[in-house]
Amino acid sequence: MSVTDSSRVTEHAPEGRHPTWRGWPTWLGALVVATILMHAVRARLDEAHVALVFLLVVLGGSAAAGRRLGISLALLAFVAFNWYFVPPYGTLLLANPLDWIVLLTFLVTGIVAAELLDRQRRATRIAEQRADEISRLAKVRDEAEALRRADALKDALLAAVSHDLRTPLTTIKGIAHEIVGGANAERAEIIESEADRLSLLVDDLLEMSQLDAGALPIEIAINTADDLIGAALQRTQGILRGRPVEIDLPEDELLAGRFDFSHALRVIANLVENAVKYSPDSSPIVLGAAVTDGTLSFVVEDSGPGIPEEERDRVFEPFRRGSQIPRGVRGAGLGLSIARRLAEVQGGSLRYEPRPGAGSRFVFSVPAAEATPPE
Amino acid sequence: MAAVNEAPLANAVLVIDDEPQIRRVVRNALQPMVSRVLEAATAREGMDLAAAEQPALVVLDLGLPDLGGMEVCRDLRSFTAAPIIVLSARHGEREKAALLDAGADDYMTKPFGTLELQARVRAQLRRYTASASASSRVAAGDVEIDLTRRVVTRAGVEVHLTPTEWGLLRAFVAHPGQVLTHNQLFRKVWGGSAGDAQQYLRVYVGQLRRKLESDPIRPQLIRTEPGVGYRFEPRD
Repeated sequence: MSVTDSSRVTEHAPEGRHPTWRGWPTWLGALVVATILMHAVRARLDEAHVALVFLLVVLGGSAAAGRRLGISLALLAFVAFNWYFVPPYGTLLLANPLDWIVLLTFLVTGIVAAELLDRQRRATRIAEQRADEISRLAKVRDEAEALRRADALKDALLAAVSHDLRTPLTTIKGIAHEIVGGANAERAEIIESEADRLSLLVDDLLEMSQLDAGALPIEIAINTADDLIGAALQRTQGILRGRPVEIDLPEDELLAGRFDFSHALRVIANLVENAVKYSPDSSPIVLGAAVTDGTLSFVVEDSGPGIPEEERDRVFEPFRRGSQIPRGVRGAGLGLSIARRLAEVQGGSLRYEPRPGAGSRFVFSVPAAEATPPE
Repeated sequence: MAAVNEAPLANAVLVIDDEPQIRRVVRNALQPMVSRVLEAATAREGMDLAAAEQPALVVLDLGLPDLGGMEVCRDLRSFTAAPIIVLSARHGEREKAALLDAGADDYMTKPFGTLELQARVRAQLRRYTASASASSRVAAGDVEIDLTRRVVTRAGVEVHLTPTEWGLLRAFVAHPGQVLTHNQLFRKVWGGSAGDAQQYLRVYVGQLRRKLESDPIRPQLIRTEPGVGYRFEPRD
């Protein structure tokens, strides 16, 4: 029997860690041997001797193999006692009716002893199982503690890395700004803009590692499409540099959805940045939103070359850049990959589709929400 | 630099940062604007200086070696009303909101630009000196708000606001130029009582913008601070 089979342990099985069937032949054999030996010297024995020897066998069997064997031995010993050692011999009859007292006392004592021994065995086994369980739980707790520590270490590392990288960048930008007015103005401006570029790369890499580590906090709330598109325009002001933007939003109603504002803003900003990079300088970028079937979809469209069909699946892979990159476009190839993962961690999705006519259309979808609150 | 020729806005500004290079950048950026820039490398030193010199503004770095940013904010707030601008190397919006809830007035994420720092400091100093004379009538662009009469007009035409929209507008007007976190707005508008309405805070702001802003997608009055809250920017 398996130790983990707890249902049987709590019922009749006195058997614990060791298979008990091995005990049966031994103790039945012992009963037979005891009976033969005592039978050989029956003339010199009285009933008390026989009862004590049989009781010893019953106790031994119970202790070794459990209640079932103990009771079986008690019943067999009871029959053997009556048959061989209580006159008239060779029958189950009793010459002296008072012998019933001896026989019944023997039987009850045997059964009670078997029962008591069995309870003791079960209590011991339950204690052993609890000890096992406790040590198992302790192990689980140790593992959880180790995981928690690893998590804390990872968070501390991310925080330290972001601090250590951003602090010198602040100094570089500050000092570059101080010398902008001097003789090396142009060089100082390059230092400042390169520091900005490095800072964006640090942001991308940190965000990527936070996504990988599952360490990005997510705060889903009811937000409006107006607010998100407005914030995206604000954030991408520097990238757009006067590029025409067409806003496609219903004028007479607010659209709302359930999403994490900061992460959604990053998704839209990355898409706008992507659109600016891959479409002609003066061509407009379309930024819109619509609700259909309980889904709020944000759309970012450009009129660039679009993405060839064979590359569409791979544009969302990190460090992957398309084959049709215009000259002078720089980047690590993380923007779309981060955008898709940020869309997904908040229960949304991001997909590409060719724009009718020409160009690219990226659709970022989140669950829609009721936009008429209680007053 | 843009602010070189401006008259000093305040007597002293205190910079608390353990990085000498950052203190140098902040000092050089602020020196043309104020009469004195005080410097401290630890929270303890900063707190002592703030108590002794009563600066008009504190620039506080979050990564101090001896005390967490949140505690420093709370401790400073316990004895001074001077604006606190927090410098942080982390981008966590939740952390920013918690800092504002703890008493900070504004935050800047590293790496920040000198011009941006100067603009934020100037805005906070102006707000600090003007807040004593807060008026119940505010004019911002073509919008006029009269809090006592509960009347708002846009281009001379009265705008109807619901009670919740009024509550929001009152909270914004009382804190011009200041970031109000979502939590602070919940408390100011709904008194902290939990209810269904609270989760629609951003929708109410959207409605208010559609009534007051000439272009609600590019709002000039109620600016969004992504993931943190809103900032009311009345401009005449």
